[in-house]
Amino acid sequence: MKHVSLIVFRTLTLLLTVFMSMPLVAETWTVETLPMVHLQDKHRYVCNPDGILSPEVVDSLDNMLFRVEQERGVQSVIVVVREIEGGDAYRFAVDLGNKYGVGLKSQRSGLVVVLATEDRAYFIATGNGLEGTLPDAICSRVEHQLMVPKFKEADWNAGIGDGVSALARYIEGDDTLIPEPQDDDDMAEGLFFLFLFCGIFLFSVVSAYLSVVHKCPRCGKRRLVLRKEEIVRVGGRAKLHRHWRCGKCGFEKDDYNDPPAGRGNSYGRSGVPFIFGTGSGSGWGGGSFGGGGFGGGSFGGGSFGGGGAGGHF
Amino acid sequence: MKKLASGTVVLLGILGVALILFFWGVSVRNNIVVQDEGVSTAWSNVQTQYQRRADLIPNLVNTVKGYAKHEQETFTQVVEARTKATQVTVDPENLTPEKLQEFNAAQGELSQALGRLIAIQESYPDLKANEQFMELQAQLEGTENRINESRTKFNEAVQTYNQYIRQFPQNIVASICSFAKKDKFEASAAAQDAPVVNFNE
Repeated sequence: MKHVSLIVFRTLTLLLTVFMSMPLVAETWTVETLPMVHLQDKHRYVCNPDGILSPEVVDSLDNMLFRVEQERGVQSVIVVVREIEGGDAYRFAVDLGNKYGVGLKSQRSGLVVVLATEDRAYFIATGNGLEGTLPDAICSRVEHQLMVPKFKEADWNAGIGDGVSALARYIEGDDTLIPEPQDDDDMAEGLFFLFLFCGIFLFSVVSAYLSVVHKCPRCGKRRLVLRKEEIVRVGGRAKLHRHWRCGKCGFEKDDYNDPPAGRGNSYGRSGVPFIFGTGSGSGWGGGSFGGGGFGGGSFGGGSFGGGGAGGHF
Repeated sequence: MKKLASGTVVLLGILGVALILFFWGVSVRNNIVVQDEGVSTAWSNVQTQYQRRADLIPNLVNTVKGYAKHEQETFTQVVEARTKATQVTVDPENLTPEKLQEFNAAQGELSQALGRLIAIQESYPDLKANEQFMELQAQLEGTENRINESRTKFNEAVQTYNQYIRQFPQNIVASICSFAKKDKFEASAAAQDAPVVNFNE
């Protein structure tokens, strides 16, 4: 039997290796095919499908750009690939930015940086609202001083790392940029949960009412109300004693049932619907909306009108 | 209750249909107005971007002048073309094909003159390496990009508008309210020679 598990193990390892090396296959990326990492994980901004940048650089850029989005409300996408369709970094950057709406809707502050190493083309595209913070001249200066010299040495890590860091410093230095206090998506999410809560609340009230108020067997009106509920010992066994009284005709009724499982002796306050009993709030309190549960990020609806600078190296 | 005469019933029916038609017409007309406004906005944006280019030119000319004093002819051409181009503005309400043509021609001429101005750098290595010139060049290229994007957006807006007003049955409302088909931006022969910004140092 030992060899069987070994075979299984080997197969799995092989499959894993194949899957992990798949992104390394050279591909000419288009705006449509490029995987957007930010949509899967809102802490990631660097699209590095060909593995050109080192993981350390990607990590540090992701951290930096997350901070930039939190503090300044500027959304970024950094694309480093071998080849893009048409070899036109400008077209790619602007189309990508407009397709996904990179940047917040309120200030249209998106930033898209594209480097295609085989095409030897690069472009820094600024969203309509970022053109004031990062004018074309600044983009061009960053490119010529920090990026292009490194690109010429094929040091992609240093070129992209230094260049994007410089852009981030410019953005952080601009006090006029403000993060959106409440994103539209968050708002919708909040509304959704509000409605959900209202729904749950209404449902509990109705079901509690239905469990407490019954039809009177004598006068037929829905006025038979649970007046008392307690656990009593009948012949050494715990029984749930309920006392009903009709508000219309005064009919009274007592019944003794087996207590529902899981409810101990604490249960038994008279007239209290069970759903408001102990622990009813614990299921609601701990939920988190923006945090770990919803990992994917979203883009706000920024637009790109051709701002930025770029070229070939 | 008294029974209505059959003539009254027919009259009421006609009145009802007329009322429905009227409200339909109003809603179509409102849609046309929205799209017409979209075209106007897109056009203003085109003009803004061209104005942005015109604003860049004095700085650019002065920078180049500092290095290439003997290119007086080119400077004069650029300044003249700029003056001419800034004089031709088209009111979005008055977007006739002739006006559009005139605007296009004036801007195209300026594009050509700018192309010659930028080409001067090839004979002056100091100018080419000047940081300010490089940045102005980047700004100029960015402005050309913005002009192209805004022209594309304008053409898209015109296309949406034209498609809407020429389709049946909206065309009836459009002709009653005299909304006419609009013209797209077509690249003039001159405009196709936008300044060539050379990044291969």
